[in-house]
Formats: sequence, structure tokens, C-alpha cells
Amino acid sequence: MNRSELLDKFRAMATEIAEKDFSHVSEDAVIADLGIDSLGMLELIGTMERDLGVAIPDDQLVGIQTVRQLLDVVHRRLPAA
Amino acid sequence: MQALESARTLVEALERVAERSGRGFRFVGVDGVERFYTYAEMWRIAQERAAHLLAAGLRRGDRLALVIGENDQFVLSFLGATVAGIVPVPVFPRGAFKALDGYLDVLAHVCRAARARAMLVTESSRSFAERVLERDCGLERILRCETLFAGPAPSAPRVPVEPEDLCFLQFTSGSTSRPKGVQVRHRNLVANARAFLGPHGLDRRDDDVGVSWLPLHHDMGLIGFVLGTLVCDIPVVLLPTESFGRRPRLWLETIHRHRGTITYAPNFAYDLVTRRLKPADVASLDLSCLRVAGCGAEPIRARTLQAFADALRPAGFDGDRALLPSYGMAEATLAITFHRLGTPMRVDRVDAAALRAGRAVPAGPDAQAVELVGCGVPFPDHELRIVDEAGRTLPERVVGEIVTRGPSVTSGYFENEEATRESWREGWLHTGDLGYVADGELFVCGRIKDLIIVRGANYHPQDIEWAVSDLEGVRRGNVVAFSTMVDGFESLVVAAEAASSDAPELRRRIAQLVQERFGLVPSHVAIVPVGTLPKTSSGKAQRRRTRMLFEERALAEHP
Repeated sequence: MNRSELLDKFRAMATEIAEKDFSHVSEDAVIADLGIDSLGMLELIGTMERDLGVAIPDDQLVGIQTVRQLLDVVHRRLPAA
Repeated sequence: MQALESARTLVEALERVAERSGRGFRFVGVDGVERFYTYAEMWRIAQERAAHLLAAGLRRGDRLALVIGENDQFVLSFLGATVAGIVPVPVFPRGAFKALDGYLDVLAHVCRAARARAMLVTESSRSFAERVLERDCGLERILRCETLFAGPAPSAPRVPVEPEDLCFLQFTSGSTSRPKGVQVRHRNLVANARAFLGPHGLDRRDDDVGVSWLPLHHDMGLIGFVLGTLVCDIPVVLLPTESFGRRPRLWLETIHRHRGTITYAPNFAYDLVTRRLKPADVASLDLSCLRVAGCGAEPIRARTLQAFADALRPAGFDGDRALLPSYGMAEATLAITFHRLGTPMRVDRVDAAALRAGRAVPAGPDAQAVELVGCGVPFPDHELRIVDEAGRTLPERVVGEIVTRGPSVTSGYFENEEATRESWREGWLHTGDLGYVADGELFVCGRIKDLIIVRGANYHPQDIEWAVSDLEGVRRGNVVAFSTMVDGFESLVVAAEAASSDAPELRRRIAQLVQERFGLVPSHVAIVPVGTLPKTSSGKAQRRRTRMLFEERALAEHP
């Protein structure tokens, strides 16, 4: 999966979980600005883990603020295509 | 049950349940792997851990901070400390998205307030928790489960543990400004467990199975599903809170799979899981086993519970019998009132304007109304009153402060006389919550204290105000944090004084800071002109005035 597909995936999941339209959210967006709190983030991560078949341990999530930083972590852990 | 009923302490109860073969606790790991411990194993391991802790130099009455994320390690270590007469002090392990600095502040503060001699960690919490030593925390040392409990246990004499002894300290919130450790004694725990699991509470049955994902550093998870259930012999299945966070449906799937009969959660969790359910999920669930779905720890919303019941009726869930709103707080060990088991919940529709004036008047069909949920009646040997500011008992349907007394009510905060005197007056615990009684049943409708409760967690506005106040561009000391209701849910608003040119940037930075530090997202950040927040005569910003202005849309904000 390439980066732009991953971003699309994130947008769809965030839209479902936060029940707000995130279909145009950019990688530069600060997650706190999107109105997603720590519980929402956790659910988002859980959804990504299941959908993408990756494991994302908690210690990788420390200090993440932007969508880009989050997708970096996820992207690194994706199985090589 | 007779032998169990004579247990006077948690230790005596554990020793006695150990004789009930085949029963025990099931711990689900974050990886989904389950580990089952019989009561007998739990008793044996607790004795071994007690011996190791004593051999490490800890003594009866010493406080031991527990920063342990794995539920099985937490429970076994907690019980081990208790068997040795050591007083555990549970502290929440750091959340994934929270900044380390703020966490270490709270941790150091709790250790100091508890005068803890040592801290017990596991490998996963050690890396961050040990950095607390860089601060003024008063700890002599940090102990690790993996090394301390390895190897054969040394022999140790049985430590006497009496009903009057402290069982543990329950810190009521992660506040840096005023950490307060509630002193839960064995007799309080035993009295409360028998009250809420006995005939006037959940009416414990031999085939009961509790299912919970609630955090174990918090009273509802710890007492409701670990200590209380041990005292009364109810096997439980414990899920990690994080697993629930990552996949809310796991909660219901676990109840289905293990034929859970009792579960509990704050209002937000019922709302969250209902919104996540798809018809296919409901079709695959059989929740006819669930006889108690309790709700507490934050304001309860009738519509949330009704929506949950409606969504799960096809799965065999009977909301009219199972939904159980309740009221309680750590200062009273856990439970204060329970709705009557097996009866439909009671919703009181009262006039909104009259309620603001302190009267709970049933609303006419056209009036603006507030729906409140009945939280039931106090347990036998416990009393509850609604009082005015002078402490006089108020009649039915008049709003006042909820006060209570009885064997479950604790004796106050650990080494904090000032805070204890504030809340324990003339033999009654003053809860700081506002409520009224109608037809004998308690309805909770607000708070006297400025506490902010979001998703079951308590936040002190002062902590948020101080953190925001430190940001560059914010006029120091001129920040107000308060909660307001958005669509029936409590949510955070932060108002700060600053120059208009900084407003857009500050809104972003404040939201970001609050999220990092507290894991909370403000529903609104108001940047207001310098000098416009309402102040007291001593210059302190006023929360309630600010909230009123905000709710009336009269707060002048920079664009």
C-alpha cells in the first residue's frame, strides 16, 4: 500500500470513528485539532491494526501529534508488498 | 457462603475463597491470550509475593506505589502486598498519547502524598516510571515484578491484618494540584462489597460471572470487579482497558463468549459501543446471560442507556431488567446507591428552568425539560440525606448537597486533614454532588465542586488552567477551564486572555497542549481580550461566571 492509499484509509476510518467528515484532511493536520481525543486515537489505531494487519505497540505512539507522524509509524510497520 | 460471610478482611476472604475449587479469575492479555488463575493459585501467589516484599525490607503499614499495566501482575501484586499488611497505592500507567512530563509530575505527587517507600513496576512500565526518581518523590527504591518475584519465596511469618487496618489508598484523580488518597480500610471494603453484591445490591448468585475492562487503578474497576468480587466469590473475566479502547465491541463479545452475567461501565462507554455496533455484530451476539448492566462514575443519560438496550434487544438483552444506574464515589469506598435490581430504570422529566432554581418540578408537555435517571436508594445500615448549606435536611424534590454515612464511608484522606475536614463534617461525608430525592429515590443533577468529568475520568480545572497559563502569549493566571454540556455530554471549554493577533495560533496550541497533557480535546477554546474574564475581588478568574457567560453566548471572543 502506498502513502496516498494509506492517507485515504486514515480519512475513511477517522470519518467513521469521529463521526465528522475527514475526507479532505491533510497529512499536516494536528490530530488534536481534529477533535479526536486519546480514546478516539486508540480506536483509530485498533481499526488500522485490524484492517491493515499490522501491530502498533503503544510505545511507538508517544509524542505523535500530526497525521503525518502517525502514518509514518503505520507505514513503517506495513508488510513489504 | 457462610464461611465467606465471616471474613472480616480482604486477606481472610481470599484465604476462604481459595477453598472453593475450580473458581477463579480469568485475565485476557492485550494479545488476546487468556490466563486463568484459580482462587487457590491466587492465594498461593499472593502469599509468595508477600514474603518477597517483606524480604525486600517493606514492613506492615508501609505504602507501596503500584504502576503496573498488566492486569494479572497488578492484581497478584496488590494481593501480595495486602497479605503482608503493606498498603498498595495504585497509580495509572501512562497513557499512550500523553506527554511524559505531566505524567511524572502526577506520579511524583502521588508518591509524596502517600509517603510511599517504594514503587513496584513491571518491565513495560519501568522505562518511564523510574524517571520519577529525577523528581522529589520521596521513594527509597523501585522494585521490579520480574526480578523481585523470581525464585522460591523466602519463609515469612504470617502478618496480622485487622479490619481497622488500611487496605489501600485510592487516589481520586490524577490531579497535580491536590492529590488526595482515600483511606480504604478492610472493614470499609468488606461492608461495601457485601452491600453492593448482597440482596439489596446485585444479589450475588453462584453462577455469576463478572466481565470488565475498567481500569484497575480506579475504584469501579478495582473494587467492583477485583476486591469486591473476591470478598463475595464472583469469578470475573478482566479485559485490558486498552483493548476496549482499540476495539469497543470486544466488551460485548467477551460477555457473550464467557456468558457474563454482570458488567459495569460509565455512560460514555455504553454510548460508544452502541454507535459502533453493526447489525451483523448484534446478530452474532447472545447477551441473554447478562442480568446486570450497571452504569456509574459520571452523569448518566437516560437516552444513552435506552439506545443501548434497543440496539441489543435482538441479542436477547433485557434492558428493563438489567440496566442498573448507580451512584457512588471513592470516599464511600465505591457504591452509595443502586437502582433496584430487576426493575425498569426510572426517568424523571423535570422543568429545566425550575431545576436551575433548585426545584425538581415535573415538566409540562411544552416546557424545556431535563431528563434525569434515578440512581436508587442507599444500602441497609447506610444513610443518605439532601442538605442545604446550613446542613439542614431538605424535603423531596428540592436540590441540595448529597451527604451520606455508614460502614462503607471511609475515614478521610491520608495525612490530609484540611481536605478531610472539608468533606467529612459532623459524621457525614459531604459528596460535593447536587441531587434530590423523589419517592425515596436519589437523582443526581450536578456538582458543587468545579470538577470536570469527561468519559468517566475526573479532571481538576486548576491543573488545566495552570498548564495553559504557562503557554507563551497567554496572559498568565488568566485562564479558566470549565465543563459544559454538549448534546447531553460533559465536555471541556478553555477560555484564555490574549492579544487578538495570537488567537488562531493559540487556539491550536492550547488544544494540542491539553490533549498531550490530559488526553482531552476541548470542545471549544475561547481566546478573549485581556481583562475581560470575570474575576473575584482578589483577582481570581471565576469559573462559574465564565461558564454562564459562555452558555449565554455573552463571552466576547477574538475571531
